[in-house]
Amino acid sequence: MENAALLAKIEALEASVALTKTVNAEVFYWWCTALMIAIHAGFLAYEMGASRAKNALASGLKNLLAFAFLVPTFYFFGWWIYLAFPTGFTVSDAASGGVVWGESMGPNLGDNASGIFWAAFTLFAATTASIMSGAVIERIRMSAFTILAILLGGFVWILGASWGWHPQGWLTTSWGLHDIGAAGCVHMIAGFFTLGVLINLGPRLGRFNADGTVNHIAGHNMPMSLIGLMIIVMGFFGFLGGCIIYNGGTWMTIYNTPTTLSAFAFNTLMGVAGGMIGSYLVTRDPFWMMSGALIGVISTAPGLDVYYPALAFLISFVGGCVIPKLADMLLVRFKIDDAVGAVAVHGFGGVWGLLAAGLFASGYPNVEGPAVSFGGQLGSVAVFAILGFVPGFAASYVLKMVGLLRTDPKVELAGLDISEVPVKAYPEASTIPAFAGEALSPAE
Amino acid sequence: MNSAPITTWEGAKAYFTFADQPGVLMFISALALAVCVGAIAAMIRHENACVRKANGA
Repeated sequence: MENAALLAKIEALEASVALTKTVNAEVFYWWCTALMIAIHAGFLAYEMGASRAKNALASGLKNLLAFAFLVPTFYFFGWWIYLAFPTGFTVSDAASGGVVWGESMGPNLGDNASGIFWAAFTLFAATTASIMSGAVIERIRMSAFTILAILLGGFVWILGASWGWHPQGWLTTSWGLHDIGAAGCVHMIAGFFTLGVLINLGPRLGRFNADGTVNHIAGHNMPMSLIGLMIIVMGFFGFLGGCIIYNGGTWMTIYNTPTTLSAFAFNTLMGVAGGMIGSYLVTRDPFWMMSGALIGVISTAPGLDVYYPALAFLISFVGGCVIPKLADMLLVRFKIDDAVGAVAVHGFGGVWGLLAAGLFASGYPNVEGPAVSFGGQLGSVAVFAILGFVPGFAASYVLKMVGLLRTDPKVELAGLDISEVPVKAYPEASTIPAFAGEALSPAE
Repeated sequence: MNSAPITTWEGAKAYFTFADQPGVLMFISALALAVCVGAIAAMIRHENACVRKANGA
């Protein structure tokens, strides 16, 4: 009788522990998702500040639209794509878990994982789309941006994630890709997609003179941009926390290799600092210093779980020194008007992060597939670059052909706010021409 | 409208509205998708109207 009572108690305790683990995991991802929303608050402030006053609200509206449209899009298609295509273009059996009329895609007492993982991935998707939004400010049509954001956040990046940020993703099982912080599928794909869009979109009016020299177009509120960038950095703690698989008992990377939150804490902070210092040294510009913090996060993201923290600092420092120069090169040599340096920060930062993991983390074993190698990282860089650039270029080219990509020159000169937004950002400042939407010259 | 797929909470799993009627779920999803597409279409119409206004039409 005593044995039976003891067994019953043990069973009750085991059930209680299992429930606690499940609840812990749910709570962890719930708060990671909440923190990731800070990324969007940051992008909102950062891009509004980087816009001229006549475009401030239109730039912000664009960010809000990206968020609002990405949530349902990712529900309808995105999660299914992630589960469906880890082996390439063949639909996996696991795809049934992402079908919108399936039992996993709604409240289910037998499934505590699907909703919370879907939510975290939805915020990754919205982040990916937001990376593009800053680059195209002040001349893209709102509708074109929304369509491109849906394509990037709802389809393209998540296909890359299925290939390279999934325990069975073919880039890992075949080439040993190691990218635990999503530098490839999020940052690189968004950066190269944006590059494709910018080629078709063209520069803002007044950005270049007839002789090819560059005019500086200053945003109207640098302090707002700086605060926004710092909020993005804070949000990345939610993003990177969400990159860890936590089942309530153990921490694993997306590739099922063991890790700890401590590892992420060491290297994320050291990465942020290295990128900031590097960008400060080469630019002395607070905008680039805070962009350098993002460069630092992205540079170290692939190897956050294994780097020695001082090495993470140095990798980020190098990224922080080099990436601003590459942004200049895009502008001056290639005439790419990327208003916030998104292609360089995210696209080229992602390339550097993946290659750095190949240089400094080679030999680490994977659970499935070969060990981490420079060749595997290099090949994956090529895949992510193509997967990002081709859809971005093709879709924006089609939109351009049908006259939907870029706003009318008169609207661009007057300012998108006065033309398209029913409220004013700074109503009391209406006597100042630049604030009132009366451009003195194209660059104003 | 009885949308509940369950009659008791004992052993309940997927309990969201119409969970036992995939056809209804597809219809609702299609409606939600149509709202998104319609919103983008409305956005395009708004932009075109703004351009006409800016050009004095």
